[in-house]
Amino acid sequence: MKILLALDDSARAMDEAVRLASERGAGLTALFVLDTGWSVYIGSDFLLGSTARSKFLEYTRDDEYAQERATVEAFQKRAQAAGLDCIIKTATAGRVPEAILAELAEGGYDTLIMSQPFRRGLEVMRDAATQVLKKAPCDVLFVRREE
Amino acid sequence: MEEKSSVAKVLAIVPGLAVMIGTLFLLRTYVEPWMKDAVVFGQKGWLVQVLSLNYILLSIIAGIIYRNVFFGGKIPDWAEAGFRTTRLFIKSGVIMLGCLYTLQKLAKVGSIAILLISTFVFGTVFFVIWYGKRIGMERSMIGVMGASCGVCGVSAAVATAPGVNAKPSEVALAIATILGFGIMTMFISPFIGKALSMSDYQFGAWVGTGILNSGQVLATCLAFNPTFAPGTAVAYGEIWNVVRVISIPFVVFIITTWACKAEAAESCSTGSQMSLGKVFKDRFPIFVIGFFGMTALSSLGWLGAEGSNTLHLMREVMSWIFGIGLVGQGAYIDFRELRRAGGKPLRVGLVAGTLKYVVALIVIMLFVSKDASF
Repeated sequence: MKILLALDDSARAMDEAVRLASERGAGLTALFVLDTGWSVYIGSDFLLGSTARSKFLEYTRDDEYAQERATVEAFQKRAQAAGLDCIIKTATAGRVPEAILAELAEGGYDTLIMSQPFRRGLEVMRDAATQVLKKAPCDVLFVRREE
Repeated sequence: MEEKSSVAKVLAIVPGLAVMIGTLFLLRTYVEPWMKDAVVFGQKGWLVQVLSLNYILLSIIAGIIYRNVFFGGKIPDWAEAGFRTTRLFIKSGVIMLGCLYTLQKLAKVGSIAILLISTFVFGTVFFVIWYGKRIGMERSMIGVMGASCGVCGVSAAVATAPGVNAKPSEVALAIATILGFGIMTMFISPFIGKALSMSDYQFGAWVGTGILNSGQVLATCLAFNPTFAPGTAVAYGEIWNVVRVISIPFVVFIITTWACKAEAAESCSTGSQMSLGKVFKDRFPIFVIGFFGMTALSSLGWLGAEGSNTLHLMREVMSWIFGIGLVGQGAYIDFRELRRAGGKPLRVGLVAGTLKYVVALIVIMLFVSKDASF
């Protein structure tokens, strides 16, 4: 059995993925998607000068990397505590749900685990769960976010 | 990632741009003339005269429909590069708007614009700081909301966020709030303007002061009166817009300095090293110089006298440029994203935005005469 965990800052989703993988003896892959959609998100704004625009995009990129480090570290701690060997991947292409679906299509996973609502990058503004659920080629387990 | 060649980059623009141009062509050639003749509630042209559904608002509506209905919430890859040119179109249009003025005329209206804009921009910033603190919003988000409600929506939010260390995800929520509020005001303002029999001067001054987003100021003025000429709503609204744009670096500096004052030095390094000169250099929108350049040419009489073929052609080109750009602007509005706006940024945005909009209306109606300075 192969499980894919779509990483965001939800500790419950990480715990649930580690628990399920341990119980089932499944292979667990954690995927962190760096959101590269900011340039498009602010694309219509005509007042920004190129310096202000590029500074903001650099700022969002640095923030994405910082979140990647923090999230992956939090997940690794949990996996190590459970004695679980995991694969950690980072994706950068397209929107977050598209990157998750691409990994599902490539990796032949049996189950996807993700938090709901899924809060990764600009997905705070969107409904990643619905988009993934519509096209996912495997079972999907949504984990309710902690309050 | 494979780098595209210059030719490929230009070709990638074609499909999206063709959609934008084709849409505007259909709207101007068939839809708007039909609406002008259509009888609704027993009145010929009700849709255009009462609802202001001229080609400008129709362009934005068409863009919104593309994004939210036909494109399923995301501009498709084949059209993305083309739709991205929307900024270029509107920026070029704003530069060309400079030909509607002479320096003497700008000086006449400019002082009123500077007074009103300074009062409302800094008044809104201080209100947001006070209200944000009162409801316990984070200092960084108060900074972003202060800039975006005070000056001009998305640009100010984006220009301020790095300096105050605002979380990008929260900036996204702030942008959604501002855009959502702006769309609402964009559609109701022409209706209010006509109901109160506002002159072009009053209307331009009001929306230029009261609407949060600069692109939406232009669209709203053109919805009220789609004519490009001196003395129209867009001519006045744009003066207010330009004054507002020039104030961005000052607002960013003040907010960043305020936000960083109470933060630890290490978490606010950008702010502690900031000088007004550096902020001005980084944040000043260069196209404003182009706008004044056009005004200078107009003042020297190099664009011909009022009624000349050159000016007529320029105004016709402007109407197309803005129309195409506004189809693109509409396509960047995703209602699913706007619906997610919430929490404290929404509360602050709604309260500050409504207050600014209503107080600006009252001030304009009480203190600004119907007769324009030019």
